[in-house]
Amino acid sequence: MSGLNTGEPVSDEVSAANQAAPVIQLRGLRKSFGDLEVLRGIDLDVVTGQHVVIFGPSGSGKSTMLRSLNMLEQPTAGSLKVDGVEYGPGLPDDREAKRGKVLDLRRTVGMVFQQFNLFPHLTALDNVALPLRSVRGLKGAAAQLKAAEALRRVGLLQRAAHYPQQLSGGQQQRVAIARALAMDPKVMLFDEPTSALDPELVGEVLKTMREVAETGMTMVVVTHELGFAKEIGDLNVFMEDGLVVESGPRGFFENCVSPRAREFILAVR
Amino acid sequence: MNISNYDWGLIWENHGVLLNGLLVALQVSVIALVISIFGGLLLAVMRLSKPPVSWIAVAYINVFRGVPALVSVIWVYFGVALLLGVNFTVFQAGVIALSLLYSAFMAEIFRSALGAIPPGHREAGQALGMRGTRIFFSVVLPQAIKIALPNIGSMFIGMVKDTSTFTVIGLLEVVRVTQNLVSQSFQPFVLYTAAAAIYVLAAFVIDILFRLVEGAYASPPRGAVSRVLRSRKRQRIQQLMAEVGP
Repeated sequence: MSGLNTGEPVSDEVSAANQAAPVIQLRGLRKSFGDLEVLRGIDLDVVTGQHVVIFGPSGSGKSTMLRSLNMLEQPTAGSLKVDGVEYGPGLPDDREAKRGKVLDLRRTVGMVFQQFNLFPHLTALDNVALPLRSVRGLKGAAAQLKAAEALRRVGLLQRAAHYPQQLSGGQQQRVAIARALAMDPKVMLFDEPTSALDPELVGEVLKTMREVAETGMTMVVVTHELGFAKEIGDLNVFMEDGLVVESGPRGFFENCVSPRAREFILAVR
Repeated sequence: MNISNYDWGLIWENHGVLLNGLLVALQVSVIALVISIFGGLLLAVMRLSKPPVSWIAVAYINVFRGVPALVSVIWVYFGVALLLGVNFTVFQAGVIALSLLYSAFMAEIFRSALGAIPPGHREAGQALGMRGTRIFFSVVLPQAIKIALPNIGSMFIGMVKDTSTFTVIGLLEVVRVTQNLVSQSFQPFVLYTAAAAIYVLAAFVIDILFRLVEGAYASPPRGAVSRVLRSRKRQRIQQLMAEVGP
């Protein structure tokens, strides 16, 4: 553990209060691309229902960290436990531990990307229905019904027959959120979900995310929208150079002590 | 010989035979097109795989892209008979020769089309827990086919034209039919003009057909057939909206 991990006791407190193991637990998570070490030992606990906000300068490793939570990046070392199952390389002392299957991990954790990544050859409805059919094994009509319900949740049922290129960026991102939500994940990951949007479209996506948060969904959000972060963040994590510099509960943006975090917050604001 | 000596009526008198030649050319080409689409796709996937497998694809593509259709069909028709004692009909030999060559070209078309799919789409499939094969067939391949379609159309026109070289093994395609008519009538100018017109018209029609297919494959689809299909889809969605409620 390095830096000023002032957030650690708080998440311990919450998990103790819930009498539940954290749904996501990172210990000493490391990731290298060749000689470049992008994550240099990350510890993080996310408990059920918690909204975690991760922010920091570009190149700080926040996206890599988020992407290793569903193994889109394979960690080089350390422990990644989701729902009590180890998916990472593991800590040095538990080499023998059983590893979960990556497919199972990804079926537990939903993800929303910066670039939306809708399938352009499918309608909004089919974008949501395809994984319901091929992963959840729903039949055509049942998958479509569930997909329609998911689109209604994000307020885009009227656009069900539209193709991604016929939708605005904000609408595309909301369909992407519906697509992930429809799979009933235990955790939703958001990788800078508003960074590719025109400024006037940011609001509708944040509104949708706020609504998801209100349902009690466990969320891990990488974002530059500090206003939004301040609003939903139960646990706020400031990263730099592949490390968690400081983390803390609500009020973090006023109360953080590390100079780098303060500097960053001021610069963004 | 002046222009009045040309007997243009010959074309109409023999239009049945000439069109039959075109039919043979199209039959050979269509069968070879289907085979080379599958062959090319397989080669493209091999080409994008890890070294031992990809080398096989690279070797195949580089050899068969370089072989002329004329040489290929002679080799298949006479060479295989000599070497292996297998005697193909001229039709079979034509199909095999074309498929061998155009699989190599299709492989390159599909390789670039597969490479043009943004990696984010694969990642989205992975993040949703879809299996690799499922991502390939439901996410990557449909988009790649869409990108490849115009090039496949051009290739198909090339295939039809390449059947003209199969005259050398006696396949009764357009050029062979023309040669036969010339030997009876001694009107090469008229008859080869007719042959040229047949190829140009065939290419024109093929181009239109492929444009229609491209339209049906576009997102959103264009064209009359897709409009009908889409109106059914829209009805289904109206129905869903009623079921789900506001």
